[in-house]
Amino acid sequence: MRVGLSWDLDRFEDASAGWQEVISEVVEADRMGFHSFWIHEGRERPADCPMPSVFLTYLSRKTQSGQLRIAGRRVTHALAPHIVEEVSVLDNFSRGRAGLAFAPASRQGVVPGHVHEMIDFVTSSWATDEMRFRGEHIRFPAHTPDEAPAGASVPDVEGDYVPQWEWGPEMPDFLSITPKPYVPHTPVHVEIDDDETLEWAAQQGISPMVGADMPTEQAARRLARYREIADEAGRSRREIEAVLERRVVLDGETDECTLGGSPRDVLNAIRDLRGKTGISHFVWRRGGATPMDLYRFASEVQVLLQA
Amino acid sequence: MEFWTTSLGLAKMRPMPNALADGYENFVRDAVRAEGLGFDGYGSGEHHFMYDEFMPIPLQAVAAVAAVTSKIRLCTNAMLLPLYDPIEAAEMAATLDVLSGGRVSLGLGMGYRPYEFDGFDTAKRTRGARLREAMEVIRLATSRESFSYQGKHYQYENESLHPRSIQRPIDQWFCGGTSLQGARRAGAAGLGYWLANSPYDHTEDIVKEYRQAGAEAGFDESQLRVASFKDVCIGNTMEEAEALRQMLIDGFYDEHILGYGYLVDENGQSLYSPSREHPLYRRFTQSLYCGTIETVVEELKRYEKLGMDMVFLPSQQQELIAKEILPEFK
Repeated sequence: MRVGLSWDLDRFEDASAGWQEVISEVVEADRMGFHSFWIHEGRERPADCPMPSVFLTYLSRKTQSGQLRIAGRRVTHALAPHIVEEVSVLDNFSRGRAGLAFAPASRQGVVPGHVHEMIDFVTSSWATDEMRFRGEHIRFPAHTPDEAPAGASVPDVEGDYVPQWEWGPEMPDFLSITPKPYVPHTPVHVEIDDDETLEWAAQQGISPMVGADMPTEQAARRLARYREIADEAGRSRREIEAVLERRVVLDGETDECTLGGSPRDVLNAIRDLRGKTGISHFVWRRGGATPMDLYRFASEVQVLLQA
Repeated sequence: MEFWTTSLGLAKMRPMPNALADGYENFVRDAVRAEGLGFDGYGSGEHHFMYDEFMPIPLQAVAAVAAVTSKIRLCTNAMLLPLYDPIEAAEMAATLDVLSGGRVSLGLGMGYRPYEFDGFDTAKRTRGARLREAMEVIRLATSRESFSYQGKHYQYENESLHPRSIQRPIDQWFCGGTSLQGARRAGAAGLGYWLANSPYDHTEDIVKEYRQAGAEAGFDESQLRVASFKDVCIGNTMEEAEALRQMLIDGFYDEHILGYGYLVDENGQSLYSPSREHPLYRRFTQSLYCGTIETVVEELKRYEKLGMDMVFLPSQQQELIAKEILPEFK
């Protein structure tokens, strides 16, 4: 099982100092073998990070191994091609360590279909060269006609190649969003807070994520339900990476969103959740735990989760 | 006068094909070297949907640089602001400003390639107005606790930007090509003006126009900053320098200057594939200054005397420039 870290950035009053603390932890955790680092998009509190792709590209030069995942990406705070591009750039700077998780529609004030369409657009852009896209919320390029097929479509290849610098003022019907990611299948997740997204993601084989604020029992039910639908849809477990994010307090109390107790208790709680839900990636949402806690978790929980 | 620069690597160059991830590595490595050589700034340009996979998000490119440098300024040369929501751009800049300890300088251009505007669903014809409005939005967002803005293209009510940038406001430059109209616009708005490559005489005209517009608008001379891209080709002889220039033209500039509509005539019309005899093309090639170390120093001294705050030097010959030219200006 992969084990990663994310952070409650909103607990810091000052971004400069708070982010430096996070950067130091990432560097340490990368050395300790944590598999992933997730920066959540936020813009409400002083130390929130509205552009995780910039933060993670910075981290790509501070780390060697850990996956660098954009978390809670919203569909309305950046233009659609920028979301495609930012992940590709991060993936090339980090040589294949980038990932992208979208926030649930309910947290963004948009209909679930908007999030689904963005995921379709992003993944189609990575998988094809010249393309166009006609959706309810995204149209790429802008002059794509109503008669174009729904979703992504690609041109018929005919005639001689015309280099871009010879296009003149013409606006082509199909464009290639570049660069492409370093790896062919960049991980994409979506938080499955709403039923419509849970069902759509399970049927499409888009990996689910459950964030730290959903109670553990509810999270387990939703991930189990996702698994059922994915199985019914014929989705293989090998194409899906189910992610569960929890707060952890070593030697502390367990509550509805937090795993507490001794390292052995936490280990058993995560194993239990894995058995119930099929999660393959656990993310510890850090909210002020000490560096010693990080070391204890790495040596007494993370390592033992592997087998 | 400050000296900023860049490096190759953020695209696949046809004359020297490279793996993109290797190019990204080289870009970061060269930034560390540029900082050590004494350059004051280091930047990335921006283009989209390109066959050569050109860097589309320059603030991400210099975010990687921020992690391994400590004092060099991190700039965009240029970021095509009309292709962003202004708040999105401000958020990216503020994020990097916090990570870098306040080292961000935004060179902001309006863009010119038609298909880029089509890809981002924004009208090319409004790009100039959008650039000016968006720069004002970024200034407000990175200098005030909260702000409202009512423009023709962008409107915001009681917006607050988190995180707060270190610089208040973030450093911005209006990259206006080589047109007198752009210089007037920047001067009238009191924005720092960053010219494209241009021969000295034309540069002098533009700077005068800019300062006059700024003075007429009531800006103090100290508020009016000016910078220029200045490609220099240095040789032991003029022939050697000219051979280097020709190599740059053949390998890079011809495609970018003759194609895509970069050159704009006096009526504001973009020129696609003009002849190499076209006066605007000839003016551009002449702007790539050829000389020996001594004459290049002389040329740059003229820029210094003109009151340039910064010149942006090319990616090639950086060690030679650092050793032989920068000390003349320190």
